[in-house]
Amino acid sequence: MEFVSPEGLRLDGRRPMEMRQIRAEIGAVAKADGSAVFEMGNTKVIAAVYGPREVQNRTQQINDQALVRCEYSMANFSTGDRMRKPKGDRRSTEISLVIRQTMEACILTHLMPRSQIDIFVQVLQADGGTRSACINAATLALADAGIPMRDLVTSCSSGYLNSTPLLDLNYVEDSAGGPDVTVGFLPKLDKVTLLQMDSKLPIDIFENVMQLAIEGCKAIANYIREIMLENTKQLEYRRGI
Amino acid sequence: MEEAAAAAEAVVVTPGEVLGKASQVRAGRGAYVAPHNNLVYASLTGFRRTLSPPPNSPDQRPTVEVTGHKAHGAVPEPGSVVIARVTRVTARVASADIMCVGPKSVREKFTGSIRQQDVRATEIDKVDMHLSFRPGDIIRAVVLSLGDARAYYLSTAKNELGVVSAESTAGETMVPISWTEMQCPLTGQIEQRKVAKVGG
Repeated sequence: MEFVSPEGLRLDGRRPMEMRQIRAEIGAVAKADGSAVFEMGNTKVIAAVYGPREVQNRTQQINDQALVRCEYSMANFSTGDRMRKPKGDRRSTEISLVIRQTMEACILTHLMPRSQIDIFVQVLQADGGTRSACINAATLALADAGIPMRDLVTSCSSGYLNSTPLLDLNYVEDSAGGPDVTVGFLPKLDKVTLLQMDSKLPIDIFENVMQLAIEGCKAIANYIREIMLENTKQLEYRRGI
Repeated sequence: MEEAAAAAEAVVVTPGEVLGKASQVRAGRGAYVAPHNNLVYASLTGFRRTLSPPPNSPDQRPTVEVTGHKAHGAVPEPGSVVIARVTRVTARVASADIMCVGPKSVREKFTGSIRQQDVRATEIDKVDMHLSFRPGDIIRAVVLSLGDARAYYLSTAKNELGVVSAESTAGETMVPISWTEMQCPLTGQIEQRKVAKVGG
């Protein structure tokens, strides 16, 4: 199957180094302490953050830092066929763990001992790159909740099909069986916090593909920063400052 | 110089942005120092503010802080004065729900406990807990420490700390008549409490 045409166009008309259109919105869930909706092309994800609040299960309380919990679930209607079991299956558990570890590395947990931060991410529409969209949405929601973080964590995926590194794979490209590299990146500190790959790649090509994903992360970070500045200006304007 | 300071106040920063060098500025709330390169980064989204240092402190670096727009609920800190409602009284310990920290009310209530030795400053081993507090009393106390896993440790061992408002068995709010007694205005009954000295 041809994923990159001889003219250099992918199945959805993008160039290999082009990311899908991103859109973010802060404050979608009014009851949550922080929330955000993040769209990457057709993938749409909503994240809600509750915390820091008192730990509900005393046995899990950590005395010198905050406990970070994360739950990833996909809505029944998010994929083409209606899903039977959206939570609790192996993929959801793994992605929940991955998002939790990524955000925990970035949150300044030592500032909130004996408390709990809950991150709930739900996929409303899945078209590849749900993991990355969830991490981006969680970053925005945590920033909206005012939880202190080291830096914004942004994430992007990249792959290698038809001997071409491709940025931001959609579902069709993802299910082609080729390599799929997901990178979580701290843009200002210039550090990689998450690196996952399916399938196999020779090491030199892997470096190119990872570098491409990092560039995608930097572009997302610039957009997220603009959205947060715009949101803050709006809030200050409404308060009359 | 003043315009530069005023202009700096209108700058909005996001987490991860560099606010200065650790050798030149101190990290306040909403900022942190990265140990590997000694730079001060922002950890919240909000307005960046620079505070001048107190004049006679040895460390003359200005403090840079970031004020976010989300107001977090108050959390008791050691040394802060809290208002609490007594929930349970035993022979050694009185438990109370902390409702206000300083002037701010809390978003979710915290549990505090007042031990027998922290009720008053004099004759601390002769304290009778049931003659000092009753369930339902509103007390003003100071937080001693974060305490154990269950509750903060509170103390009422000062003149201005103790019961500020209590209901008598008849249901009326009682009037304090001394530092150990309160009287019900309806029945005239006198009940014993560790009363706080309110006012001048």
